[in-house]
Amino acid sequence: MNAFQRAWRYITRKPTKTVLLIITFFLIGNLVILGLGISQAAENAKVLTRQQMRAVVSYETDYNAYWQYIDTLTDEDEINEAYEHSPRINKDSALKLTTDSRVKAFNYMTNTVAYSVEFENVPLGNEENKGEMYASAEGGEEFVYVEPNLMLYANMFPNMIELAEGTFTVTDGRFYTQDEIDTAAKVAVITKELAEQNGFRVGDTFRITTVDSYTLKQLKDSGMEYNEDDMNLELEIVGIYETKNDVDPNAQNFQWMSPYESPKNIILIPMTAYTEYQSEVASIQYSMYAMQNPDFEVDMDEITAQFDVPSRVVYLLNDPLEVEDFVKDHSEDLDEYTILNANNETFKKLSRPLDTMSFFANIVVWIVVVNAVVIISLVTALTLKTREYEIGVLLSLGVTKLKVILQLFIELILIALLGFTLAVGSGSLLAGRVGDAVLDYQTAADAEYETTDEGYYWYDSTDYFTEVTQDDMLSKYEVSVSPALILEIYILGTAVVLIAIAIPSIMIMRLNPKQILLEQN
Amino acid sequence: MSTILKLENINYGYIDGGYRREILKNLSYEFEEGTFYTILGPSGSGKTTLLSIMAGLDKQESGTVYYDGEDIAKMGLTKYRRNKVGVVFQSYNLISYLTGLENVLLAMTETDNKLPPNHKELAYAVLRMVGIVESKADRMISRLSGGEQQRIAIARAIAGNEDLIFADEPTGNLDSETEQEIIRLFQMLADRFGKTIIVVTHSNEVSRFSDRRILLKNGVLNDIR
Ligand SMILES: Nc1ncnc2c1ncn2[C@@H]1O[C@H](COP(=O)(O)OP(=O)(O)O)[C@@H](O)[C@H]1O
Ligand SMILES: [Mg+2]
Repeated sequence: MNAFQRAWRYITRKPTKTVLLIITFFLIGNLVILGLGISQAAENAKVLTRQQMRAVVSYETDYNAYWQYIDTLTDEDEINEAYEHSPRINKDSALKLTTDSRVKAFNYMTNTVAYSVEFENVPLGNEENKGEMYASAEGGEEFVYVEPNLMLYANMFPNMIELAEGTFTVTDGRFYTQDEIDTAAKVAVITKELAEQNGFRVGDTFRITTVDSYTLKQLKDSGMEYNEDDMNLELEIVGIYETKNDVDPNAQNFQWMSPYESPKNIILIPMTAYTEYQSEVASIQYSMYAMQNPDFEVDMDEITAQFDVPSRVVYLLNDPLEVEDFVKDHSEDLDEYTILNANNETFKKLSRPLDTMSFFANIVVWIVVVNAVVIISLVTALTLKTREYEIGVLLSLGVTKLKVILQLFIELILIALLGFTLAVGSGSLLAGRVGDAVLDYQTAADAEYETTDEGYYWYDSTDYFTEVTQDDMLSKYEVSVSPALILEIYILGTAVVLIAIAIPSIMIMRLNPKQILLEQN
Repeated sequence: MSTILKLENINYGYIDGGYRREILKNLSYEFEEGTFYTILGPSGSGKTTLLSIMAGLDKQESGTVYYDGEDIAKMGLTKYRRNKVGVVFQSYNLISYLTGLENVLLAMTETDNKLPPNHKELAYAVLRMVGIVESKADRMISRLSGGEQQRIAIARAIAGNEDLIFADEPTGNLDSETEQEIIRLFQMLADRFGKTIIVVTHSNEVSRFSDRRILLKNGVLNDIR
């Protein structure tokens, strides 16, 4: 007759009390499962949404903050000064971030539209809708407007995010190397479609220009002497890639899209080659201005520096769940008015209904747990009063007080296990129903605060943030009772029993066995 | 015959309404092995108090209790209760959610004394000895008469092979016929098994059949001859 055998006999042979306690634990268990299930489901939905979002962090200038700063200025000179020295991304900081082991790939990249020179872009399929377009130059003279038909992606590093993610796959030849970047080699990787369109092969060369038809016309008209070939960038094809991206012919603005908007017309080149070429072209243009206005002063270093600024610095991390920590770890080191943007605002906004629900669910859990401790303590303490003789007898037989407490604990824990096990079944059903109902109510209430600001979303082609919607997140909200949750409930139940047994234990420790002899006389 | 239990200068008192009341005053006594004692005395004289001190259920304020020459406080009261002592209560105090047999088995699991390996068999034998047949031994306590319950309580007190049996008014709730049977049981335990039986009673009937009668009065014990 050890403590366990006695406990087992007590609970099986005193069924009324046992059943009452099982019901108590069952009810407590249901509420706890409900609360934990709902808040865990919310947490899961957030994690799943995070995982669906690409693990990208963008290093940006915080213009909002800077404009706010300018707004505080009153002095005219100070304001002008502030506009001239607007914040820039710090190249060294950008490079330092790439050494973080969480970074899988990164783009330090400039994107510009360009024009093909004596070759064809990949057609979009909307050409017949668009007639010839005209633009008017200064003085009202009209001329044929030529649409830019290519897009240059000039990256500073060979491991582009698109390659790491498999959006781009080099199918022929190779990607440009770090060596070629360092030496500003005039090399390019083009799409399979662009290659096929023109019969290009690896090793061929082609020419492009970033100078628009109006500027070219101005240059010609100016009478300035220059080498026309200097306006073109000659590139050697080192590789051909396939892209998974394509335009959507059903898109609203498809009819008006320019050929450069087709992902098939994207040309990948080293950023250094781009900077060098752009600086040359710019210097010719500035010479023209200088010829026309003798007062015009140019600082060529500044012009070069201008082309060295990336339009986008984006890091792809190994794991979407690391994004928040990554931002937290590095934000301190950045220059003023530059930030790491992880699209957190969108995520936070979308999480709001789930967070509210979790918050209340957790409060319910705490209230229930505290009440459970109080109720179980009281019930145990009260029944202990009726068991004093029994305990006295056990003590008179030489059973230690600790073993008496152990028996009490085993009795309660067995009952709690049974109650909670029953609750796991019903609680998961209940949690699903109640969770859905609360969620419906919550999103309805939250919709009132829903702002229509699209500012969080970036629709341009270089957007690396995944567009997620409230529906995306809520569709992932599903209350299920996972093994981890079940474990959590049993651990919590054990904790409740342990705390609830504290007061009765003190009562037992203070019990004097002589008392049972005295009280019988 | 040798001394099994020796009380030396036992003092016990308590404070009641600001006054200190002495119950036991420098009480000394020696109990011999295999003897059936009854302790008599007026109500409130401290019999129950003395019994709980001797049984290791309470601590005296000063003085020493020796079991077989060993200070029971040094031995440890829990260990003393577990291995040397059996207690029988006025209202039997069997554990209600166990059968008679299980109550006896409980005492056998707790003791450190050497017992034959088959506890169940031994428990039935002990129960048979006190007059409880197997079919009754397997019943829940609530379905037994007072006399039967007290027999089981006695069986529980001796099942762990304890030498000392204490009983506080063990026949207080029983009719005279049953009382007779319980007395005979005590006699047998002392005579045949060499147990030392110390019974507190105010029943002359019980004390008449004991080997030695002692009176507790004014805080001390005196033999009645
Ligand atoms: N520790 C104590 N505190 C208060 N009162 C006590 C204590 N121990 C004994 N008493 C009281 O002393 C009196 C005598 O005790 P008891 O041993 O029960 O005498 P008896 O068994 O002879 O009737 C009783 O009234 C009892 O309530
Ligand atoms: Mg008494």
